[in-house]
Amino acid sequence: MISEALLEVIQELAEIEDRMERFEFIFDLADEVLELPVDDWTETNRVKGCQSQAHLEVRIENGHVHLRGGADARLVQGLMGLLALGMHDQPLEVAQAMTVDHIKEAGVLNSLTPSRSNGVRTMFDMVTTKLEAMSDGE
Amino acid sequence: MVDASDFPILSRKVNGKRLVYLDNAATTQKPQTVIDAMNQYYTNSNANVHRAVHTLAGEATDGYEACRTSLKSWFNAERVVMTSGTTEAINLVAHGWGRANLREGDAVVLTEMEHHSDIVPWQMLSKERGVELRYVPVLDDMTLDMEAYEASLPGAKLVCVVHTSNVLGVRNPVEHIIQQAHAAGARVLLDAAQGAPHTRIDVTELEVDFLAVSAHKMLGPTGIGCLTVKEDAFAEMAPFMGGGDMIDQVTVEGSTYQDNEHKFEAGTPRIAEAIGWKAAMDYLEGVDLDAEHHRLLNIARWTANALRELGCTVYGRHDDLDSAVVSFLHPDLHAEDMAHLLDAQGFAVRTGHHCAQPLLHRLGISSTVRASFYLYNTMEEAEGLVEALTTVLERFGGSA
Repeated sequence: MISEALLEVIQELAEIEDRMERFEFIFDLADEVLELPVDDWTETNRVKGCQSQAHLEVRIENGHVHLRGGADARLVQGLMGLLALGMHDQPLEVAQAMTVDHIKEAGVLNSLTPSRSNGVRTMFDMVTTKLEAMSDGE
Repeated sequence: MVDASDFPILSRKVNGKRLVYLDNAATTQKPQTVIDAMNQYYTNSNANVHRAVHTLAGEATDGYEACRTSLKSWFNAERVVMTSGTTEAINLVAHGWGRANLREGDAVVLTEMEHHSDIVPWQMLSKERGVELRYVPVLDDMTLDMEAYEASLPGAKLVCVVHTSNVLGVRNPVEHIIQQAHAAGARVLLDAAQGAPHTRIDVTELEVDFLAVSAHKMLGPTGIGCLTVKEDAFAEMAPFMGGGDMIDQVTVEGSTYQDNEHKFEAGTPRIAEAIGWKAAMDYLEGVDLDAEHHRLLNIARWTANALRELGCTVYGRHDDLDSAVVSFLHPDLHAEDMAHLLDAQGFAVRTGHHCAQPLLHRLGISSTVRASFYLYNTMEEAEGLVEALTTVLERFGGSA
């Protein structure tokens, strides 16, 4: 079961028909992700394959996921916000219930194929892979 | 301008809006005649070329070779080797000519303005053969530093330069570059992927040794391009891909090769694509490219000025011979955000480094938004772009 906050946002998004309004909504979600200051942007937390500069840091503390992110493109930052709604401060199993399809439901990207250069899928894969590795280590 | 209704894709809608296609420097749309020619081949004449004697093979061979004949005429070229595109054409020079003629210590001159396709093959050859690479810098006015170019020539065996920049639209002084290179004893390779769609290039008049071109940027299909080669340079080339079609005789002891362009076209070639490209050139024969160049340049100049008025930085100068490419950035909105928001309104523009990272590094940026115009684009579409961008900046401009 995904987080309630993510569920609510997906429902709200589903009601927005105008594409520009969707973008506006996603842009506003940028505020949902805890900021990873530019000084903390490293090669380790860089989202590779992103046309914009995008960095994500993920940790597990007391069984809960902690996420911080930053990007120079507002859309990418907004999608990080969507990720944060589904994962940040959530129990690991709730965070891991989020799939890339939930990002697709935002309906602002034409494609989320693995080769897509904007790297949104890479961003999602990066977080989920790290969570898997960390949860295996626990 | 051409009749936009000749291009079926231009009547479709994108995100509920009429498509305005401004990504022509990446690839152009195809007229119905090109689509029909390829369909016709697959429907009625599909066969492999050259060695068979049956009727279909004859039709396929005639169709394929007719493309070469058209290309020879279009570019006034002595030799035309069919490739998968500009990238393979440049790699053919690197492997087919470079390996046979360049030794450790020889120099190849490149520029900071090159597409990655005209940098990476040379870096690979440099690593393999110890060839020295010399880069001509780009000046603040976005032209090549011609003094540095001339200084780079002593000891150079080859000069590789882009005819027209895919980022800036700047058309380089290729006549002067070729003349200087030849005077210094160097051969010249022109990357004409962006230049060829906008102007007729006569390689014999230019005396250029190699010219690389892609079909899909001049109304033809993807997956095919060519390398024109001067006869004396052709004699210096050795094949780098072996296989069917390129041989004369094969025995277990060894092989001999064909004497003509087939020597560099191992394997079954792109037959349908060649037939499509021929149809594209037939279409272009009916277009006054000089008049179109002026019309499109005027649209680009107007767009550049309008974007500047909106607070954008425009990268390019739009001189008389430059192509209709407008690369820009706005301080309040990331290039990728802008491209998404324009797409939402039906405008297809490109964003990113445009496979020219050294140039963007020189300009101190990592990406631009690029609108590139071609034969079917109109001033009304440029006005629509500026209007759409105004809307984007009003609604999202403060989001950065």
